[in-house]
Parts: sequence; structure tokens; C-alpha cells
Amino acid sequence: MHKVKVLFFATLRDYVGSKSLEIEIPFGMTVGGLTDLLVATYPLLEKVKNSMMVAINREYAANEQVIPEGAEIAFFPPVSGG
Amino acid sequence: MDSPTIIFLTESELDLDALLGRITLPTTGAAAIFTGMVRGQTSRGDAHETAYLDYEAYQPMAETKMRQVADEIRQKWPTIAGIAIVQRIGRLYPGTPTTLIACTSAHRNTGVFEAARYGIDRLKEIVPVWKKEIGPQGEEWVEGHYRPKPGE
Repeated sequence: MHKVKVLFFATLRDYVGSKSLEIEIPFGMTVGGLTDLLVATYPLLEKVKNSMMVAINREYAANEQVIPEGAEIAFFPPVSGG
Repeated sequence: MDSPTIIFLTESELDLDALLGRITLPTTGAAAIFTGMVRGQTSRGDAHETAYLDYEAYQPMAETKMRQVADEIRQKWPTIAGIAIVQRIGRLYPGTPTTLIACTSAHRNTGVFEAARYGIDRLKEIVPVWKKEIGPQGEEWVEGHYRPKPGE
């Protein structure tokens, strides 16, 4: 197991009720695996599961990407700045 | 000649003149400046009124992605000299500039208009900033439509 930092923004922060979590995950866990774990813990995420974006260490990540040790993983809806 | 690139997020009022000054060089003869504003009344599509917008950002990633937008502009339009990409965050009321994309060049026909247009379009695609809209009908997070590819 290793510890990672998970951040939530906008709608997702509202659904999780927290801006930032520190959690322990197994070595080799993918973005998709972590997503499933979070959806199981925070069921409100189910409805945005397919639309949310994931970044690892501040770069857009793919579902099959393995989460590196000590990573910062951010979950957020499609961006709407400007 | 160095080419200034100004990138930041701020909770303070945008000083458009000062920002333009920072990307103006002795060789500059043209600047294209785009600023997005908080629109109080929307008539296109779902007509409604907006009291204010609350902006939030994933700040370190937003800065990285704004710098990436500037790099993409320089690759596409090597004649662009100065670039400013600024996003204001926090609570912003109608009539307020929320973002500034400005590009300078020696002459107006060297891509400055296109570069600034590209800059705002890309900012709205890949820079992690969100806004919550508050109006008479309640409050709602605005969601974009673009899905960046891994590594984009």
C-alpha cells in the first residue's frame, strides 16, 4: 500500500464533501481502479463517473494509467474557465 | 530580443493597460487583446440572468496548462512576440473582465488576432478552472464540453 493525495473540484467536491483526502491504495492500482473505489465510498459520484476528468501529478491521465507512489490525483468535471 | 510570457491567476482586478504594457516591446506595432466578461443577461439559448459567478481553479495545474497554451501559440505563430494569459478567480459580478488573452507582434497581419482567439479557445478546453453561476433561479456549476486527451 502507498499513500496518495486526492483532490476534488467544483461539483465533485460538493459530492464528496471534501476538497482533499489522503488515502492508502495498493501498488499497481490504476486510475480506473481508484475511480471505482471512490464511487463505492461516495455514491453521489456515480452520476458523474463517466464525465469526470482525472489528472495525475497535474497532467490529464488515462483510465488504465497506474498511479505512481506519492502521486497527487485530481478529479474534476470538464473545465469551464474563461 | 526576449519574448515576454505573462501567466498567472489572481483574485485581484485585472489591470488591462498594465498587462499590455508588460508585453509591449520596442518592436511591437500590434496587439490583440481578448477579455472574457461576466454576462449579466443571456439571451442565446436558455435565456437567463446572472447575479454573479464564483470561479475556482486547480491552481498549479492551471498555471502549467496556461503556459502550455502560450507554448502552443508560439509554435503556431512564431511571429508573436509577447503573450499574456491571465485568469481571474473568486466572486465576479456582471461587467467584470474575468480573463485576458493578449498577443503582441510587430504588425497586425502576423497572426495576432488568430493567436489570441486560439488562446482563449484552448484556455476553455484544457485549463482547470470552473465557475458556479448564481442567479434568480438558484446556483449551478457550469460544465464545459471538451475532454482533453491523456497528456494533452
